[in-house]
Amino acid sequence: MRLFSGQRAWVLQRVTALILIAGLIWGSALLLFSGPISYAQWKSFFAGGHGATLALLCFAATCLHGWIGVRDVILDYVPQRIPRLALLSLIAVLLLASTIRLGLVIAAQVSR
Amino acid sequence: MHLQIYRYSPDDGQPPRMQDYRITPDPADRKLLDVLIRIKTIDDSLSFRRSCREGVCGSDALNINGRNGLACLTPIEGLREPVLIRPLPGLPVIRDLVVDMTQFFAHYHEIKPYLINDTALPERERLQTPEQRERLDGLYECILCACCSTFCPSFWWNPSKFIGPAGLLQAYRFIVDSRDTATAERLDYLDDVYKLYRCRTIMNCTEVCPKGLSPSHAIEQIRRALLDRSM
Amino acid sequence: MRPPVASRPRFLNLFRISYPIGAIASIAHRISGLLLLVSLPALVNGLDYSLQSESNFLTLRTWLASPWATTILAFAAWGLVHHLSAGMRHLLMDAGIGTALLQARRSARAVILLGLLAAVAILLKGLL
Repeated sequence: MRLFSGQRAWVLQRVTALILIAGLIWGSALLLFSGPISYAQWKSFFAGGHGATLALLCFAATCLHGWIGVRDVILDYVPQRIPRLALLSLIAVLLLASTIRLGLVIAAQVSR
Repeated sequence: MHLQIYRYSPDDGQPPRMQDYRITPDPADRKLLDVLIRIKTIDDSLSFRRSCREGVCGSDALNINGRNGLACLTPIEGLREPVLIRPLPGLPVIRDLVVDMTQFFAHYHEIKPYLINDTALPERERLQTPEQRERLDGLYECILCACCSTFCPSFWWNPSKFIGPAGLLQAYRFIVDSRDTATAERLDYLDDVYKLYRCRTIMNCTEVCPKGLSPSHAIEQIRRALLDRSM
Repeated sequence: MRPPVASRPRFLNLFRISYPIGAIASIAHRISGLLLLVSLPALVNGLDYSLQSESNFLTLRTWLASPWATTILAFAAWGLVHHLSAGMRHLLMDAGIGTALLQARRSARAVILLGLLAAVAILLKGLL
C-alpha cells in the first residue's frame, strides 16, 4: 500500500501527535481555568464555531494517528494478508464513522 | 554452581527441554564460557558455538538468565542461580544452543555491506579526514553476534522482512562512509514499511550489545537522513 | 531419519525472556494506545448524550463521580498519560534528545511513573 509507505506513515504519526499534544494542552487549560461547567456553557462551546471546529479537527487527527498506530500492531501480530486487510478496513470504517458522527453531533448544535 | 541448559536434538524426536547441571568451577574459571567448556567434561553431548573466548568473534551469543549476551564476556560472579541458558530467541535451533543464523546473515547481505565506489581507482587508497573516519566509530566494531536482532521484538514478529538492528547498523555504517557513493540507493532501499520502519525504538538492541554499540541510534540517524532528503 | 529443517524449534517463550525498562515502557505504550483507540466511539457517544438535554448532562456528571466510573477513568487516565508521555519521549528521541542508554532508561522509568501517578490521582480524587 504505497499510500501509507514507511516514511509517510511515520511522519504522519508524528505530525498528528504534535497536533494532539497541542490540542490536549489547550483542552486541559480550558477545563482547568473554567471551573465547574454548566450545561449552557457546555452546549455553547460546541455551538460556537472555533471550539467545535478545533475539537473536530483534534478528533480526526486522533483517528488518523490511531489508525496508523493500530496498523503497526496488526503488521506485527497478524501475518496473513486477508485478515490484515479486513481488520485495517474495518477499523478505518469505524473510525471514519465516529468522526462523521461527531461532525453531525456538532453540526446539530451549531444549527440550533 | 547450578545451571539449567536448553537441550534439543533433532535425532531423538523429543521436544526441547531444560537439563540440570551441577558443577564446581575451577578457581581460574571467571566467565560463563569457562563453565560451559568445563561442563563438556561431564557431558560432552552439549553443543554450543565458541571460538575466540575474548568477545571479538561473536560465536557464543546466548540467552543468559533471560537476557542476550556473550558467554565469554559474562562473569560467573554475581550470576543469579540456577543460571538459565537458552539459545538466541526466535532463530531456528539446530541443536542445543546452536541456532541457524541464515536469516540473520541474509539481512546483513541484503544491505550490501561493502564499499560501492565506481569512480577512478586512486593510486594508493581513498583518503578520509580524521573527522570522516570518526563517523564510523560505534558502527564498524559490530561483531555480528546477533544479540541485538534476536532480542528485538519487532524482529521476532517479522524476522524475514524487518532487517533488524544489526543489519541496519551496518547499513548506516556504509551510508555514513565518505568513500561510499551509493548513499542515495542505500537510503532508497531502506525506505520501506518493513525493512526499516518496523523499528519502534524499544531499544532492546542497545541494552544487550556486548560491544556497547547503539543500533537504535544508528536507526534514528537513518530515519533522519530519509526525512532530510524528502524535505 | 532427520526431521525436516522447517520443523526446527525456536526459543520464543516470552515468559522466559527478561525485559529492560524501555521494553516495559514500549509495550505499555502499545497497550495504552489500543485502550485509547477503543474508547473513541464511547467518547463520541458520551458527548452526544451529554448535549441532548440538561438532565442527560447532569446524569452523566453524577455517574462520572461514581466508584465504577472512577475506576474506568483511572484506567483511561493511565492510558492517556502513559501514551502521551511515552509519545513525547519518542518525539524527543527522534530529535536526538535522550537517546543514550542511561538517559533512555531514566526517561522510560519517568514515563512509567507518570502514568501510574495519574491513575492513582484519579482514584484518590474519586474515592475520597
